[in-house]
Amino acid sequence: MNRNRVVIDVQDVVKTYEEGRIHALNGATLQIWEGEFVAITGPSGCGKSTLLHLIAALDRPDSGRIVVNGVDLAQMRDLSLYRSHQVGLVFQLHNLLPTLSASANVQLPMYEAELSFWERRAKAQRLLEAVGLGDRAGTPPTKLSGGERQRVAIARALANDPPILLADEPTGNLDSEAGRMALDLLRSIQQERGVTLVLVSHDLQIAAAAERIVRMLDGRVVDEGAARSVAQEAVEREQ
Amino acid sequence: MPFFVLIFCNLLRQRVRTLLTAFGISLGITTVVALGVVTDSLKSTAQDILQAGGSDFAIGQSGSADLTYSTLTEGQLETVATYSGVEHATGILIAVSRLGSNPYFMTLGLEPSDLPYFQVPLVAGRNLASNAPNEIMLGQEAANQLDKKVGDTVELKDRTFTVVGVYRTGNTWQDGGGMLPLATVQELERKQGLMTLIYVKAKPGTDLEELTTRIETNHPELATLRTLSDYGDVDQGLQLMDAVNLAVSFLAVFIGGIGVMNTMVMSVMERTREFGILRAVGWRSRRVLLMVLGESVLLCLIGAVIGSILAVIFTRLILVFPVVRSFLEPQYTPGVFIRGLVVGIAVALLGALYPAIRAVRLAPIQAIRYE
Repeated sequence: MNRNRVVIDVQDVVKTYEEGRIHALNGATLQIWEGEFVAITGPSGCGKSTLLHLIAALDRPDSGRIVVNGVDLAQMRDLSLYRSHQVGLVFQLHNLLPTLSASANVQLPMYEAELSFWERRAKAQRLLEAVGLGDRAGTPPTKLSGGERQRVAIARALANDPPILLADEPTGNLDSEAGRMALDLLRSIQQERGVTLVLVSHDLQIAAAAERIVRMLDGRVVDEGAARSVAQEAVEREQ
Repeated sequence: MPFFVLIFCNLLRQRVRTLLTAFGISLGITTVVALGVVTDSLKSTAQDILQAGGSDFAIGQSGSADLTYSTLTEGQLETVATYSGVEHATGILIAVSRLGSNPYFMTLGLEPSDLPYFQVPLVAGRNLASNAPNEIMLGQEAANQLDKKVGDTVELKDRTFTVVGVYRTGNTWQDGGGMLPLATVQELERKQGLMTLIYVKAKPGTDLEELTTRIETNHPELATLRTLSDYGDVDQGLQLMDAVNLAVSFLAVFIGGIGVMNTMVMSVMERTREFGILRAVGWRSRRVLLMVLGESVLLCLIGAVIGSILAVIFTRLILVFPVVRSFLEPQYTPGVFIRGLVVGIAVALLGALYPAIRAVRLAPIQAIRYE
């Protein structure tokens, strides 16, 4: 891990919807270093989730560049390979397939990793144990609590050992206890595995868990700094 | 979970829809397989006809639309018998008449003196006697159906015949019918001096190819029959069946394809969000395509298996009718089931192509946001 190396370089990115009528991103620029835990925060509609989705290559920017590990996503031939091996995604609504077991859900990204069925199953079991759900491998998401589902989603994001973890409001749909557990889990994974963690949250208390907070407004990065100071300033502004 | 199992699990999500679609496909496959079984059985019967009585080849009237319309004269029989290389020529008149409850009872008229050459193995009684116009020999299947034994009588075209023998050749069409003196059948059918086929037994060492070519060259009105493809020269029925079979197969593919497309489009639309998630976690479009096509192929394979089982049941069921049993012995060749399978796979690919392409073209983020 090299804390001086930029792994995600967002350069003046613009993204519009509905034929340009809605500006989701309006020249967003951001750099994220290897192994860093960054929280992107801001009010609803500021473009933070859009930015995360563009970094995850789920969508393409209208203009600007997103360079990950030195490679411009626009130039990347196989975005599926990027999505399966370079980044792990955690959504607000866990997005697990309800008809599959927890283990089968965790195995989904591994189909592109040329692992045998036995290897996939063993690895899924290890990941579920790592998130504290080793005994729920055969349980479908419909029979899991919200917090447990999110932990399965986190295990799925780690399926192919990606160096970057992207979490979009991972605690947004959970009660405070489950949210805290999910956040603690993400943070411990980031520290133990040395992955770069980018977390999007509108909640400053959640964002305060990060090393650095990036604040967005109207599709631009307006402020960034050490989590403690940015959170403190924000609280003061609110007062 | 192996990829194949994942595909199978996806089909189980909507069990009723899967079963109904598979059943719909199976009806088409049933038709294709059952028709194939019947066609193959008729071909087998035709093959039996060509090789009846241990002959080397048969001769019919060239260009006949149906075998029973083939008309040969006694003069032609005598001419064929004089060819060098011909050991014996037997003239047969085939007719179809009502006998008891069987409206399609097949009667074979032949000279009683030809019976030793025609190799008719008796299981009871004796051969037809010369100058005994009211005697009949029944095939074993016919005797069983009619519940007749040696010494009993049967009514045929308002005439009474005494059963003098029961034979079993192993050929369905012969064992389901009866043999009478040639003159009697000619009289019953008002075809004096005429016959349907001439069976030729060649002398040992004779070049059959040369002999048949010579006969056909000298007598263009005659068609020599050694193989099933030759059979088409005197009967268009099998070719017609083949054509019907092909048409039904295309129809099954088309109708089945529409049904499968409907099911798969619904399935893909319902699972739009799921495809978005799969693309988001890194699935290549090729894998999504494989999954949708795999589901469709599996669905159709289930339909093909059900359809093949139904076809076997159906073709066994039609045998309860004595009339069918008298000329058809179902032939379950691998070919007809492979044809059913090929139709099933064609249905699957045709029906799933559009939905699969639709699934692949979904933009991940739009699919995830889809409600």
